[in-house]
Amino acid sequence: MSELLEKIAAGIIAGNLNEVPDLVQNALDEGMGPSKILENGLVVGMNEVGKRFKLGSMFVPEVLRSARTMHAGQELLRPLLAEAGADLGGKIVLGTVQGDLHDIGKNLVGMMCEGAGFEVIDLGFNLEPEKFIEAIKTHQPSIVGMSALLTTTMRAMGHTIKAMEEAGLRDKIKVMVGGAPVDAEFAKRIGADGYGHNAASGAETAKKLAGRS
Amino acid sequence: MKLSPKNQEPVAIIACKVLQSTLEEMLPERLRRRTHFLDYDLHRSPDRMNLKLQATIDAIEIPGRIVLGYGLCGNGICGIKAGKHTLIIPKVDDCIALLLGSRQAYMREVHAAPGTYYLSKGWLESGSHPLKEYHEYTEKYGAEDTAWIMDQQYRNYERLVLIAHNQNDLNEYRPQALEVARYCRQWGMRYEEILGSDRYIRRLTEIIEDPDKIDDEFVVVPPGSINRQELFWDCSVSAFESSKKEMGSCE
Repeated sequence: MSELLEKIAAGIIAGNLNEVPDLVQNALDEGMGPSKILENGLVVGMNEVGKRFKLGSMFVPEVLRSARTMHAGQELLRPLLAEAGADLGGKIVLGTVQGDLHDIGKNLVGMMCEGAGFEVIDLGFNLEPEKFIEAIKTHQPSIVGMSALLTTTMRAMGHTIKAMEEAGLRDKIKVMVGGAPVDAEFAKRIGADGYGHNAASGAETAKKLAGRS
Repeated sequence: MKLSPKNQEPVAIIACKVLQSTLEEMLPERLRRRTHFLDYDLHRSPDRMNLKLQATIDAIEIPGRIVLGYGLCGNGICGIKAGKHTLIIPKVDDCIALLLGSRQAYMREVHAAPGTYYLSKGWLESGSHPLKEYHEYTEKYGAEDTAWIMDQQYRNYERLVLIAHNQNDLNEYRPQALEVARYCRQWGMRYEEILGSDRYIRRLTEIIEDPDKIDDEFVVVPPGSINRQELFWDCSVSAFESSKKEMGSCE
C-alpha cells in the first residue's frame, strides 16, 4: 500500500501527468481512503517539489508540471473527499499584490487549499489594497493570502495590511503571505499572522490559521 | 559614513555578468583586473546567489572596499556579511534600475506597465528570455507541455522592452529582440524600446575610487555588518514603524 503512495509522490515530483491519475485510481480501488491518498501521496510529493524548488534543484517549468499532475490526481479525489465530509469549509481569499503580475505560486496555493477543504476565492493579480478590502467585506473569509514575486512589490503587502487596519477589518481575518522574496521575518515585520515558504506549506499555514491542524 | 580616501584602500568589484560589457567599457585596465563577474543564472536562485556571492567576498583576502554590481535581486543579497570589508551596493531592487539609469526611472516604468519583461544586451548575450526558454523546454518536454508552461509563465505580461544605453546598441540588438517580441505577441505583449542611461553604472565606477561621492543612491555595509533588505527601502511597510506618512508610496 505504502509503495503505491510512494509511487504517487514520485509521480508528482516527476510531473507524470499520464501515470498519477491511474495510480490514484488504483489506490482507491484497493480501498485506500481519499484523505490518505491526498495527504500521504499527493501532498507528500508537492512538499518535496517545494523543497527542491527552494533549493534551486527544480525550476518553474517542473513545478508547473508537478502542479498540473497534482491537480489531476486531486480532481479524482474531490467528490469522494466532499462525500467523506472532508470539506470543512472555511473561505480563503487569495491575490497577488499591486504592481505584481505573477500568479503561479498563488494558483498553486489555491489548488492545495482547495484540496485541504477550503473554499478559495482567487482575486487575481495586480491588486490594490482596496480590492482586498472589498473582497473581505463581500466574502467574509477567515483567511486572506497575499503573494508577491518581486522585492519591489512585496512592500505593498505591508500597505495592504495597514489598509485592512484602517478599514477596521484586520481583526476579523488572519493574514498570510508568501512568494519567492518573502520570508518569516518580513511577514512578522508587516504584522502578518502566517507565512508560507512554498506553496505546499502555504496550505499547511492556512490550515493552522483556521485552527484545523 | 566616512570611508578611507581613494588610493589608500584596496578595491574590488563583484558584479553580475549582465553588467559585464557595460562595466568593461567603463573601467580602466587596473580595475578590470580586480573585477569578478558572476553567472547571470544565479538570479534564478537567490539562495545560490547568496552563497556564491558570500564565497567570492570571503575569498578576497586583503580587507578593502568591495563594490557590488547587484541590486536586492530577489533578496539574494540579503544576509550577505561584509566580514572584514566594506560593501557598497547600488540601492536598487535589480539591474533594471541600473540599466534605466535611476531608481526613479525604474519606479516610473513599474507604475506605467507592471507586467514588463526587460531585455538588455547583457541578457540577450548571456541570459535567458521567453524564446530561448521555448526552445529549451520544447527539447525537454515536447511542444504541447511547453506551450502550456510558457502560457502559465507569460500570459499576464503586457510588454517586452529592449533597454540600451545608446542608440547603436538599440539598433544592434533590435533584430534579436524583435524575434523574441514576435514569439511573445501571442500574449498581447507590445514591443517597446527604451534608451536608458549608463549614469548609475558610471556612478558605480566612480565611487569605487572616490567614496566621497557615495550618497543615498548607494547602501554601505561596514565591516562586521550584514546587508539587510530594509536598507533598500524608502518607505514604511508596517503600521508598527514610526514613520507612517510614506504609506502608499515606495518611491
